[in-house]
Amino acid sequence: MLAMLLLLMVSDADLLSPHGEKAVVLLFIRSDCPISNRYAPELQRLYKHYSSRGVEFHLVYPESGLTAAVMEVHRKEYGYTIPALLDARHQFVSRAGARVTPEAAVFVQGKLIYLGRIDDLYADLGKARRVVEHHDLEEILSAVVAGKSIQPRETKAVGCAIEELQ
Amino acid sequence: MRWILPWLLTIPLAAEPVTFNKHVAPLVFQYCSPCHRAGEAAPFPLLTYEHVRQHALQVVAVTERRYMPPWPPEQGYGDFVGERRLTAAQLGLIADWVKEGCPEGNPIDLPPKPQFTEGWQIGPPDLVVQIPKPYRLAASGSDTFRNFVVSANLKETQYVRAIELRPGNKRVVHHANIWVDRRQWLRQREGEGGQPGFPGMDVSTEARSDSFDPDSHFLFWKPGSVLQPEPDDMSWRLDPGTDLIINMHLQPSGKEEVLQPVIGLYFASHPARLHPMLVQLEHDGALDIPPGDRGFAVEDHLTLPAGVEVLAIYPHAHYLGKHFDAWATLPDGTRTWLIKINDWDINWQAVYTYRTPVWLPAGTTVAMRITYDNSASNPRNPNQPPKRVRTGPRSEDEMGHVWLQVLPKKESSGDPRLPLQEAVMQRRLEKYPGDFAAHCNLGELLVTRGQYREAISHFQQALETEPASATARSGLGASLLADGRLDEAIRELKQTLFIAPNHLNARLNLARALGAKGDLTSAEAELNTILKQKPDNVDAQIGLGFVYLTQKRYEEALPHFQEAARLRPGDADILTNLGALLAVRGDLPGAVKAFEEALKLNPKHETARAYLARAQAALASKR
Repeated sequence: MLAMLLLLMVSDADLLSPHGEKAVVLLFIRSDCPISNRYAPELQRLYKHYSSRGVEFHLVYPESGLTAAVMEVHRKEYGYTIPALLDARHQFVSRAGARVTPEAAVFVQGKLIYLGRIDDLYADLGKARRVVEHHDLEEILSAVVAGKSIQPRETKAVGCAIEELQ
Repeated sequence: MRWILPWLLTIPLAAEPVTFNKHVAPLVFQYCSPCHRAGEAAPFPLLTYEHVRQHALQVVAVTERRYMPPWPPEQGYGDFVGERRLTAAQLGLIADWVKEGCPEGNPIDLPPKPQFTEGWQIGPPDLVVQIPKPYRLAASGSDTFRNFVVSANLKETQYVRAIELRPGNKRVVHHANIWVDRRQWLRQREGEGGQPGFPGMDVSTEARSDSFDPDSHFLFWKPGSVLQPEPDDMSWRLDPGTDLIINMHLQPSGKEEVLQPVIGLYFASHPARLHPMLVQLEHDGALDIPPGDRGFAVEDHLTLPAGVEVLAIYPHAHYLGKHFDAWATLPDGTRTWLIKINDWDINWQAVYTYRTPVWLPAGTTVAMRITYDNSASNPRNPNQPPKRVRTGPRSEDEMGHVWLQVLPKKESSGDPRLPLQEAVMQRRLEKYPGDFAAHCNLGELLVTRGQYREAISHFQQALETEPASATARSGLGASLLADGRLDEAIRELKQTLFIAPNHLNARLNLARALGAKGDLTSAEAELNTILKQKPDNVDAQIGLGFVYLTQKRYEEALPHFQEAARLRPGDADILTNLGALLAVRGDLPGAVKAFEEALKLNPKHETARAYLARAQAALASKR
């Protein structure tokens, strides 16, 4: 509980400034978005594989009305062990330029090198592919881990809109 | 001054600001809240200002693209119950409201919150059945199609006026069909894969029965559907020894989900008097879609021999289906659209009920055209790279059906469904020459109509395709018997029983044929064989009664007629025969009572009336 509260208080500068990791991945999710919920097993899989290879992961909840307690319940329900932050003031949303959930932002040395979809499971709202062809986030992460240089790029993520702050 | 007009149109008619309470809430309550509330299928509630404000951008995003509310049929191609479609003006209102910062507005403008019935939609059901053990759906993976077998365990036949499915976990159930398995054919597959149910997007129930009893009702559930009881006279029959198959489309949610569907059945007080029929347009045999083909089309048509009212329509394809067109060409050449779907999505497949039944006179041709996209650019394509796809029940196979629920107009004394069924089967033979089921169906139909020669020919053609079929051979035997060709009938029926020793109808007809030939001893033996297996078989009881009656063994005949009358209490013929038997045994008061009862059931029963007069006269002369 203490660790979680500490995380809630970190600023984007602290989190995204280089501190020894190969990359920081922000995974924007919403507790009530069926598309982002459906990604829970895949996000956990990526976390398990890449967190031991020097990549730092954070779930980011951009919901303004969400409490830390409800966030914890949601994490447990979907079996998330990735640490989470509540981005009620959208500091991470603005920093990454995230638009929907689920959406991934990858920072290397404090610099945004990828923003977009996790993979191409969804071609559009309500149009889930039967076969995933492009594992965009994983491609980026494996390149990072392999120490390759990466041209910053963006893809279009399909999901639920991140609402504007009132 | 003509240039001014378009410019004028863009000016709002009133400068009134758009608010939630006045403009948005009525739309949300009508179109969103039925599913967006606790316990329903949608992912979050939309019942209050706060709910909608917290999803404002999302609401605009999904409505302007018409992803929500989900309503695939195109406007103007059929007028359906429960249409959920926002007009362009309504979409504009929602977008403007969000653009203006989601003002809440004046509280007095807020319409009352919508009211929904909790629990069973039309009160406690007469019977509740549930799958015995819960099913566990894995957290991830692609969509799953699962079929659960439930038995109603009825003691006697019931007529169902409504059925409500409670899927058990609406978040993961995309839609469900309920099929009636009259032969309990599918229960052998229950439990495949170590879990309740068995897999399959479509299953064939092989629901052939010996009596003419075509499918008649769509039993369909989708999120947000409102339970609609059948019209009072249009219930459907549910017999003892029948299974219900719940066919479900399930979508993983990201965590393991557990579901245990429940069905509530509501019974009618009396049997149906109106008999709708499901007519299927299809040409699955022509479905052979090359990889990469973006416009493969399948067509079918049927000319109606009699007038029908179309009550509802159910289009069905799998993941490659793209466009659905169904229409009717009336005898005067005019076209009536039945449905049009431009972006088929199996996730939102549904049964659509016409607000007013669509009347189609005799001579109308109903037609369908479905196109498929088997290219790599179709995101729903189950095969990447695309493969050749043909028809089949798995989700990676295809289908192309338009089902119509029609109520044939009664024009003469016969069953108005029969001419329609005949047209359907003749059309089937055009599409699939030598088709076994079509020949059997036509055979059965023509026997009931007294066209024995034609019936014989159809059963013979069915046997050419499937020589080992007991159903076809039994039908051939029955037609030969009806045509008076007794020796041939006996030969075919014995052959049927050699293949299928428990074929009741074949044995019954064999007994009749033997009796007609005068071999009463053999007939008696066959009937006793049936009754040893099924003591409550009314036809065998009557048959044995006649065997004894013919031999003037009245005392032995009597218990069989009495048993028949007890088993089938509403049958005037049985009572008339019982009365005649009582009369020859000298029990005139008993005979009079039986004839009177028969006439109470059917006042037009000529034989019963004549016998009653003679029995009363005999009674009077005795006094």
